[in-house]
Amino acid sequence: MTPGTIKRGQDISGNLTLDCDFCVVGSGAGGSVAAATLAAAGARVVILEEGGHHTRREFNMQEAWAYPTLYQDHGNRATEDLAIMILQGRTVGGGTTVNWTSSFRTPDRTLRLWADKFGVTGLDPATLAPHFEAVEHRLNIHPGSRDDVNRNNQKLWDGADKLGWRPELIHRNVKGCARLGYCGMGCPLDAKQSALVTYVPDAVAAGADLYANCRVTTIKRKGHRVESVSGEFLDEDLDRPSGRGITVHPSRGLVLAAGAINTPALLLRAGVGDDSGLVGKRTFLHPAVPMVGLFAEPVEGFYGAPQSVSCHHFADRGTNVGYFLEASPTHPMLASIAFPGFGDSHRHLAERLSFAQATIALMVDGQHDDPGGRVRCGADGRIRLAYPLGDGLREAARDAIKNMARLLLAAGATEVISLHAKPIHIRTDAEIGDLDRAQFGPNLHTLFSAHQMGGCPMGDDPKRSVVTSRGRHHQIENLWIVDGSIFPTAVGVNPQLSIYAHARLFAQAIARGG
Amino acid sequence: MIAPEPLTPHALARRSLVKKGMVGGALLFVGGALPIALRATRLGPEPRGPLKLLSRSEHAVFSAIAARVVPGPAADPTWPSAEALDCAGKVDALLARAHPSIGREFKQLLTLFENGLVGLLIQLAPTPFTRLSPTDQDTRLEHWRDSRIVIFRTGYQAVVRLAHATYFSSPEVYPLMGYPGPPEVPAFPLR
Repeated sequence: MTPGTIKRGQDISGNLTLDCDFCVVGSGAGGSVAAATLAAAGARVVILEEGGHHTRREFNMQEAWAYPTLYQDHGNRATEDLAIMILQGRTVGGGTTVNWTSSFRTPDRTLRLWADKFGVTGLDPATLAPHFEAVEHRLNIHPGSRDDVNRNNQKLWDGADKLGWRPELIHRNVKGCARLGYCGMGCPLDAKQSALVTYVPDAVAAGADLYANCRVTTIKRKGHRVESVSGEFLDEDLDRPSGRGITVHPSRGLVLAAGAINTPALLLRAGVGDDSGLVGKRTFLHPAVPMVGLFAEPVEGFYGAPQSVSCHHFADRGTNVGYFLEASPTHPMLASIAFPGFGDSHRHLAERLSFAQATIALMVDGQHDDPGGRVRCGADGRIRLAYPLGDGLREAARDAIKNMARLLLAAGATEVISLHAKPIHIRTDAEIGDLDRAQFGPNLHTLFSAHQMGGCPMGDDPKRSVVTSRGRHHQIENLWIVDGSIFPTAVGVNPQLSIYAHARLFAQAIARGG
Repeated sequence: MIAPEPLTPHALARRSLVKKGMVGGALLFVGGALPIALRATRLGPEPRGPLKLLSRSEHAVFSAIAARVVPGPAADPTWPSAEALDCAGKVDALLARAHPSIGREFKQLLTLFENGLVGLLIQLAPTPFTRLSPTDQDTRLEHWRDSRIVIFRTGYQAVVRLAHATYFSSPEVYPLMGYPGPPEVPAFPLR
């Protein structure tokens, strides 16, 4: 078997026209494992990745480099009203290159919900188990260790444990981790077993060719089949079209894995595949509301494994929207854009960065009546995401900030601060009721998302879903989607491992002929 | 001194950050059309290099905003100024790489921020942002932040986040935050 190559946009001197069996768009959790699986099965695979090809020697642990280089919209992706900041990778390896290593299998109750309410068939825990096992083996995912727990996560553990909320250690995809704390900026040691160092090299070793800095713009459909895919190479310095392009003719099919938000946006821009009218709708974000606890002793949340402890005590709140608790690293830029205020009031918090602990509540959207967001994309390629924060999410956010305040006080915080435009300061349990006056709405408080899901939901009913329960488009027979956009709701845990496992299962079916 | 660039009908027709429904459209219209909106911008220090996206006056508006938004030596002399860290230049470079429509909208936003009529509407002060006293600049920022109209709060977030992002990602401020910086690894030995 002749290995393939990874080419960057600057390596391409003219327009390219390629024939292959499968064209895979995106090289993150979904695209990488799909490409590796298909290539290993003997297919000729071409991978198109919009981001650049960056490796550990460039990962300098500086936010000023990492976010503009490795993230969507140069680190500025957000909902169109800027109410929710969106952290989403855009580089070879996709989000896995900047993921914080938290690895969870899809909860059984989420799979049941998808089967019961969204018409998903054949995706039960037993069916997925071998795919989780295979991915866990390849990514060296292992149970978390107490040695992984930095002080930032220890506070989360301490508070949850004291309150009887059953904190858990998080499984992580690392090998030889030095617990530097910079997973979100790319691992400079290649200790994180991201797609960049696992499934992408596997795909290339099996013969796949990867083209980085390549933005797909056009999908040509002929009848019920995709005929060709076209894109433009980007000048990496300017992030503008270089004038060179590529057209790929995939004889067996197109596999989309550009991620939730970008996959639906691509279909909408290309005017292909929205027969159901559902593409881009029901986009979910696990909107995360943070709280900051200030401690008398240093926490130094910028060092150590970013996430090692989680608490799912509030994940199932019956008829109310659930949420789960994790810690967030506190690097200067990430923390400063989350901190409220400006000038002096902001400085007082910034000066205490090393004493700050950040707990986040990730709301499980889409599993109740909340409709999620909607992705749109016009001919100019500008992607817009509208995401209204409905009553259910506002109730969950308020409940979450009160419980995070309880947790942080139980962990020993001297002060807990809500990240509202007008923050509420809590110093005792008796003051937690003050959070009832907190307002929730666009840009009244900090919200962000590191998990994007939905927009091309799977299911067996073509009127209620875009792709089948094996990722195949309902109307276009040689088009598959294998990224987080297929999930009918938010997953309820960090979704990376779910994407890998579903993509592996789907890719094996594709390799067998669909 | 350079007057803010007037908004054209073509610009108004575009969907944009600040054009959210009737209120946003009306603001853009009056902001671009009335003479009161065209009072000159106080330019301040020269950009360090050629600007890629912003005009000279837009650079000055963002510089004035950033000067109030970051800690800065006025409040505590140990903190560098936004100008010292070239926040406006970094934002210019960053947004020059963004989708062209994002760059256009940001320029429109700065025009609105500077616009005296908008100041009159939200603060009863028909003075361009760059010509307000520091205290009044803070008050105007608070009006944008606390407005009941979402587009003002959106505009506030846009400028404040960019100012904070460029300022606090600068190694010069790490020690002031108690952040020692990245640890040493073989590929990046400490100097």
